[in-house]
Amino acid sequence: MLPIIELGPLNLGSGALLLVIAIFVGHARFERVARQRGGESLERRASRCAPFALAGAAIGARLWYGLFNWDMYRQSPGLFLALRLGDLAWPGALIGGALAGYAYLRLRRMDDAAAPLADAAALALPLAQMIASLGLLLSGEALGAPTDLPWAVSLFGALRHPVALYYFLAALATWGALAWVARLAAQPGTLAMAYLALQGSAMLLLEALRVDSLVASGGVRVAQIIGLAMILTALWWKRTQTTSTP
Amino acid sequence: MTFSRQFWDLLLVATLLFGGVFIWTTRATSDAVATTPAPAPAAIQPAPLVGHPAPEFTLTATDGSQVALSDLRGKVVLINFWATWCPPCRAEMPAIQQAYDRFRDQGFLVLAINQQEDVASVVRFMSDQRLTFPALLDSNARVSADYQARALPSSFFVDRRGIIRVVYRGPMSRGMIEGAIEQLIAETP
Repeated sequence: MLPIIELGPLNLGSGALLLVIAIFVGHARFERVARQRGGESLERRASRCAPFALAGAAIGARLWYGLFNWDMYRQSPGLFLALRLGDLAWPGALIGGALAGYAYLRLRRMDDAAAPLADAAALALPLAQMIASLGLLLSGEALGAPTDLPWAVSLFGALRHPVALYYFLAALATWGALAWVARLAAQPGTLAMAYLALQGSAMLLLEALRVDSLVASGGVRVAQIIGLAMILTALWWKRTQTTSTP
Repeated sequence: MTFSRQFWDLLLVATLLFGGVFIWTTRATSDAVATTPAPAPAAIQPAPLVGHPAPEFTLTATDGSQVALSDLRGKVVLINFWATWCPPCRAEMPAIQQAYDRFRDQGFLVLAINQQEDVASVVRFMSDQRLTFPALLDSNARVSADYQARALPSSFFVDRRGIIRVVYRGPMSRGMIEGAIEQLIAETP
């Protein structure tokens, strides 16, 4: 574990550093994939839409974190604006980013680009998630439950599930699967929905192994509910596709 | 693919059912925090481990006073290692303050041990964040070394007899903090 990277006088949190790298890489990849799949016009739309999606993701991630740490955030509402890269929550980022990106396309009357751009995002996100989960691994976040499995990592006085590593592998598998689907699927939106199904499954299953999840009442992990909702959304979409082309 | 609509309906319902049951059975329970209910100390050798007597230290607080851990026998003490540059440390401070406000009259004390920062920035941070518990200065990081506090924040809950009962590395939620304190305060020394 390497939570702090010392660069001369700077102490950089490795989690935060890799998150920033992940955002840059993911952003660049998003535009490149858009170009590969839709030519220059889609790339132009991608680069116009991206800042809004990123801003929406940042706002969503912080709001989500704040709402589920409400007692703490209510006491110091300034925390909602504080520059802390640790106080972010992935489900909020995904929802916020998708909503903001879609709202922008709607307002600029570029609805027809929504599905191709969502597909491009689905191909770009797993890479960003891989980098970000390496950051979690280095900073010791996404702490896992104790286990006796041979690949357990020793962290904080116990052998634990390397949940960050599982998330890395899930992102890698998602990436591979989507690259494969991308060669078959013609219907715009298919990749985005496949992404939702795969990452939703990962969240539903892997979040159960964490001990630092954001929880709602009764100890239910919020990320699992979102994961399930993502799977159901993808299945529902697939079902509507079936009805329209009997 | 040529699955029928009924197939997707079934799959949707099955996923919803499986997912719901899975979420409920894997929900977080309070024993996620590593507590040991056994009242008997596991060892007599001081060590930064659950069941051991907390390693002794005397440090200077930001107000210049000397604070020795041994003087606090009879109180439940949260020893929290932190630094102002550490985001998760800053994140948990409001929750620690809240627990301090709630339990201080019942014999609970927080010792926020700052790692190797100058007194001015520590004082400024404490007053900016309106934190009222004592901040101690570990200027040569010797106490941090005794407690193996390499990862920040690191928190040690010490019971009234001076035995470490809960060790938590990484930021704590309010629930974790107050759960541990409630349990230790309820015990008779």
